[in-house]
Amino acid sequence: MQDGTSAPQRIAVRSSGRNRRPDSARLRRLNILVGALSLPLFVGLWELASRSGAVNMVLFPPPTVVAAAVLEWIRSGQFLVDLTASLYRVTTGFMVGGALGILFGILTGQFPVMSSLLSPLFHILRPIPPIAFVPIVILWFGLSEAGKLFLVVWGVFFTVWLSTHIGVQKVDRGLIRAALMLGTPRRQMLQEIVLLGALPYIVVGLRTAVSISFYTLVAAELAGTFAGIVYRIEIAQQNMQTGQVMGGLAALGLISFIADRLFAVLAERTVWWR
Amino acid sequence: MSGSRSIVKLALASSPASVDSARKQPAIQVSNLSIVFDTHRGQTVAVDRVSFDVAPGEFVCVVGPSGCGKSTVLNTIAGLEVPYEGDILVEGSPVGGPRPDVGMVFQQPHLFPWKSVRRNIAHGPRMHRKSRKEANAIADDLIAMIGLKRFADAYPNTLSGGMQQRVAIARALANQPRVLLMDEPFGALDAQTRAVMQDNLLELRDRIKATIVFVTHDIDEAILLADRVLIMSAGPGRILREVAVKLPRPRSSTIMVEPSYLSLKKDCLDVIRAEGARAFNQSDSN
Ligand SMILES: Nc1ncnc2c1ncn2[C@@H]1O[C@H](COP(=O)(O)OP(=O)(O)OP(=O)(O)O)[C@@H](O)[C@H]1O
Ligand SMILES: [Mg+2]
Repeated sequence: MQDGTSAPQRIAVRSSGRNRRPDSARLRRLNILVGALSLPLFVGLWELASRSGAVNMVLFPPPTVVAAAVLEWIRSGQFLVDLTASLYRVTTGFMVGGALGILFGILTGQFPVMSSLLSPLFHILRPIPPIAFVPIVILWFGLSEAGKLFLVVWGVFFTVWLSTHIGVQKVDRGLIRAALMLGTPRRQMLQEIVLLGALPYIVVGLRTAVSISFYTLVAAELAGTFAGIVYRIEIAQQNMQTGQVMGGLAALGLISFIADRLFAVLAERTVWWR
Repeated sequence: MSGSRSIVKLALASSPASVDSARKQPAIQVSNLSIVFDTHRGQTVAVDRVSFDVAPGEFVCVVGPSGCGKSTVLNTIAGLEVPYEGDILVEGSPVGGPRPDVGMVFQQPHLFPWKSVRRNIAHGPRMHRKSRKEANAIADDLIAMIGLKRFADAYPNTLSGGMQQRVAIARALANQPRVLLMDEPFGALDAQTRAVMQDNLLELRDRIKATIVFVTHDIDEAILLADRVLIMSAGPGRILREVAVKLPRPRSSTIMVEPSYLSLKKDCLDVIRAEGARAFNQSDSN
């Protein structure tokens, strides 16, 4: 529970009540309890609502049906195929887009000429949602993997480029002057000062890009493919397998959640001096 | 504050100029230095034909109102402000950029946040192709000297402002500069910490024997530390007056209540008061 979502409540709890210490301790325990109950409660209510007959069970299948669909998905071996295909697209797209973004961010951030040359172009291209490129990607790449990769790279690149660019530009001039006074040659300034100074920004950009790579994955797999989590959701929808659709959504949510968490841990280690 | 002697000996032994020739030649010669900045509102004359010499081993303080060009002069001597108009010689050779025999301490410590205290101090020696081992040995000597042994492996963000500035001083000393430039290094510290830092600096100075130019806008600080105080006018900066401080050393902050000290301070304040009135009238009549 290190995400920001529970912090405002905690602050509110702390400042309320006359006997703040014992009160806040008890309330915190209550909070943890409620937190642990959150998901089971939600699933339970959903099960009841679905089975009550108040809603259409085909469109709103209860969690048990969804779970059965997911189990079947896993047992058939198809889940592993889909997962591998999706993860492959996300990770390669993320790495290629991230690497390019960092590279160009350093170029435009460090060299004014490069910035004059490229920044206007990048700023025009950046706001176009990757999903808008699906039609042209199909024209260019057909149904090949290259097209999928292109979309994810596209989405990741601009986020990482911009944050790297800003990070490089924001490197404290004072640090550079100090480094110069200590005899750091100008040609070593990039590796000695600029990259490390920009690192916190780069890491934030990469972390944002993790969720973006999952958004673009959706666009990529809807652009026509033969395997993948989103592809499975689409097929299930065409067959009216609502349980499978929901299972797919849950899987997608879980995977991107895990990816984000893993990256957060990684990020903390990358900026080691914090 | 011990264990530094080895460095000091090194610094003295490695000095190319013999004591005799050093006595003849000033450590710093600034003549007719003018600096004009191009701004969007036209040109600002930051420094106007400033000339002064600093003798080897001398401790000179520069005081003057905010914006009078103290930092600009110092940055130019440091080689951070090129090109410039006029001549600056350090140890006899013209300044054309940052150089290893000139060290600088800024108002902000500007420590590298990703490096530990030891690595920060070792940075200079590393850049001068010393091995990691040698550089660390130099750093550890200096860490002992500034009394931060316990924090050798700490990162700057875990240190107080005073400790950070001590590290910044040690970092500048690691290259054994002949000339140490300090730009309001204690300006951001509270009065108590500043007093401690001043005493530390005086102690340190006796050991390193470097030539020091120290910018401040605190008259007390200037008189306490300096052999000579240069008083600058409001911008564009010129040198109004030089005041020799012939108070006995070693000094400590208790000197500030002695009559000889107070009369010196009065001299300085008179110059500053007259200049303040002049600047005020001038800006009024414009
Ligand atoms: N890079 C710059 N570009 C344009 N003008 C500058 C620049 N640096 C300094 N100046 C101007 O030069 C003058 C002197 O500035 P400087 O920083 O040297 O003053 P200072 O005496 O150090 O002041 P303070 O006590 O506030 O540090 C000021 O008028 C300032 O606006
Ligand atoms: Mg200044």
